[in-house]
Amino acid sequence: MTARARKVRSTASERRNLLKGLGFISPWIIGFLVLTLYPICASLYYSFCDYKVTAPPHWVGIRNYVELFTDQDYFLPSLKNTAFLFIELPISLVLSIALALLLNQKLRGMALFRTLYYLPSVVPTVASSILWLWLLNPQYGLVNKTLEMLHIPTTPWLQSPIWSKPAFILLDLWTIGGGMVIYLAALQGVPRHLYEAADLDGASAWRKTWHITLPSISPVIFFNAVLGIIGTFQYFTQSFLITSPVGGPANSTLFYALYLYQNAFNYFRMGYAAAMAWVLFVLTLLATLVVFKSSARWVYYEGEAR
Amino acid sequence: MHARDGRVHLTVWSMWSGAEEQNFLKVLARYQQLHPEVVVENLGAVNDDTKTVRAIVAGVPPDLFSLSDPLYLGPLAANGALVPLDDRFRASGLKESDFIPASLRQCRFRNRLYAMPFLIDCNALMWNKQAFRDAGLDPEKPPKTVEELEEAAVRLTKRDGDRIVRLGLMPMADENVFTQVFGGVLYRDDTDQVTPDDPGNLAALKWYASLMEKMGGYQKVNEFNSGFGQAQSANNPFFVGKVAMMINGEWNPWWCHKYAPKLEYGVAPLPYPAAHPELARSTWLGGNMFCIARGGKHPKEAWDLLVWMQSEEAQILFAGMMNNVPNLRSALRSPVLRQGGDYKKKYAIFLDLADTPNAGCFPAIPVSNLYSAELNTARDLVLNGEKTPEKALRDVRIRVQRELDRYKVAASPTDRRLALSTHVSGRPLN
Repeated sequence: MTARARKVRSTASERRNLLKGLGFISPWIIGFLVLTLYPICASLYYSFCDYKVTAPPHWVGIRNYVELFTDQDYFLPSLKNTAFLFIELPISLVLSIALALLLNQKLRGMALFRTLYYLPSVVPTVASSILWLWLLNPQYGLVNKTLEMLHIPTTPWLQSPIWSKPAFILLDLWTIGGGMVIYLAALQGVPRHLYEAADLDGASAWRKTWHITLPSISPVIFFNAVLGIIGTFQYFTQSFLITSPVGGPANSTLFYALYLYQNAFNYFRMGYAAAMAWVLFVLTLLATLVVFKSSARWVYYEGEAR
Repeated sequence: MHARDGRVHLTVWSMWSGAEEQNFLKVLARYQQLHPEVVVENLGAVNDDTKTVRAIVAGVPPDLFSLSDPLYLGPLAANGALVPLDDRFRASGLKESDFIPASLRQCRFRNRLYAMPFLIDCNALMWNKQAFRDAGLDPEKPPKTVEELEEAAVRLTKRDGDRIVRLGLMPMADENVFTQVFGGVLYRDDTDQVTPDDPGNLAALKWYASLMEKMGGYQKVNEFNSGFGQAQSANNPFFVGKVAMMINGEWNPWWCHKYAPKLEYGVAPLPYPAAHPELARSTWLGGNMFCIARGGKHPKEAWDLLVWMQSEEAQILFAGMMNNVPNLRSALRSPVLRQGGDYKKKYAIFLDLADTPNAGCFPAIPVSNLYSAELNTARDLVLNGEKTPEKALRDVRIRVQRELDRYKVAASPTDRRLALSTHVSGRPLN
């Protein structure tokens, strides 16, 4: 046996180590194969099937996809409703960064403020949704009472097809504390010497924020933006819990993931739901890719040459 | 499973929880006394039928289960997940004529029996007598026709500025009731066509939309609606006088007795269109039904329990505790259920109204749940002014019929049996 061949064939001890290693990570491998990869592949297959859950799937080609894109009544409105939620992304981005900047000041009792602003993110979605259902109640809700006190016209919020989506955005902005904490951590990591240098040059607070702080935390902004895009596409729980009929009024809160769920679990149209899931996957992928591509222009990693 | 004690352990999944579960357990305990050879094990609070569907698909169904949403009967039966019960029904000596006809009709799919009822629900009109006096209406004369109902509802509605403070008629939780009131037909089994836009259904929706308009506009009604307290509480909008009339079920006299004993109210049959007196005394049925899943281990014992549930003893025992309507005619007439306080007299009116030839129920078709959801959405779109009633209901017909037609060309019966053997553990059926 030549030396070369021996090198390609691993030795007995290497093989043993490989097996041991695989053995140790097998819980993950098996879990991934059985509980993640298989369902993903199966859903791709089902998306080309008529699958009524209690009977086996049968192949219908691209029928589900054709139906999806020609459905003016549910699919396209649900996509539009979800698209509307993207308004929230820049708002929550600006608000949570602003909040993080404020909470990054060195003041007495700052820990208390940080806790208070973060607190809503700890409340489980179910609890906060029900809470907001009452806050937004057109008759007794605190939101409308406050608006009345300020002599601002009130609206029926979740009872109105026009205001129901803004109501959900309002509801979600309450929990920006989650993003804020990540920004706060990033702010702590901005190198002090950059600010000192800027101070020596007499830079204003605004210039320091724009030229030092924001570039320094841009990787975190990028991270939050990507998570935000994915989360927005999957928006489901709040609407599922508090609208009646679900997705109402007038289908104005029938979000994509909600309609997907209804097809899969209420209407026995698993094939159609699988097709929706794959369309959702592609849309999420495309949106994320766009952000990734653009990131070269605005995300700055420390030590990176410019 | 046959446990070590050699007795059959029958697994029952039921929808009830809390106090209602205790009632059901008492019924099971009585059965247990009569049949010590079977051990009945109840799992309560299964009020999400999708859980049961998953158990059936996974091949580990309970022996007997209640459908908390009757809309699941059609889809499950169409996909071969349920055991048909006709042969057992005939062999057991049960007589069709002993049942309220609609109670069995809602358990049938394509003329085959796939479930057995265990108490049903029906609707009637309830009116607040004080509210009638306030509005200058005769408190002893409830509206008889749809036209009178509308007039009363508008007169009973009170406003403070542009805000509603009392609504004439409570918005319906289940608007299908009105299809029955107007003689609408949701499905024709001779042609296997859904007919959401038939003249009766269309008239019902138009009438309902115009009533909402006359009571102050759907938006305002909805705003008022959103402040209603829970139905099963002292904050029930009818109990506190926020709504003057409601069309609701037979459990209300009991709740009212518990939460608002001072309320002066009456119970009357549902109104009918003045031009169609033949539609008088209609009602809309819902209720509890039990099914035996394919792949269950003890279909025989499960059926025996179902048969016992149809006995007068079981029906009266459960109905007395639940204040629901027995599906067995003899139990319906039993004086036992009518004894007691004043509320029992009002409850008895529901009992008298339940067995009517004009009783409707949602059709069991392979796409019942889709159909019902589409109807609700269509009504919501109409009431919010997004679609005309004609267009909304026609759209429902087109979309639902397309799905329904797929069940015709889909798997033939043999395919379906194959389907089951792959899904269910290969045990012999029945």
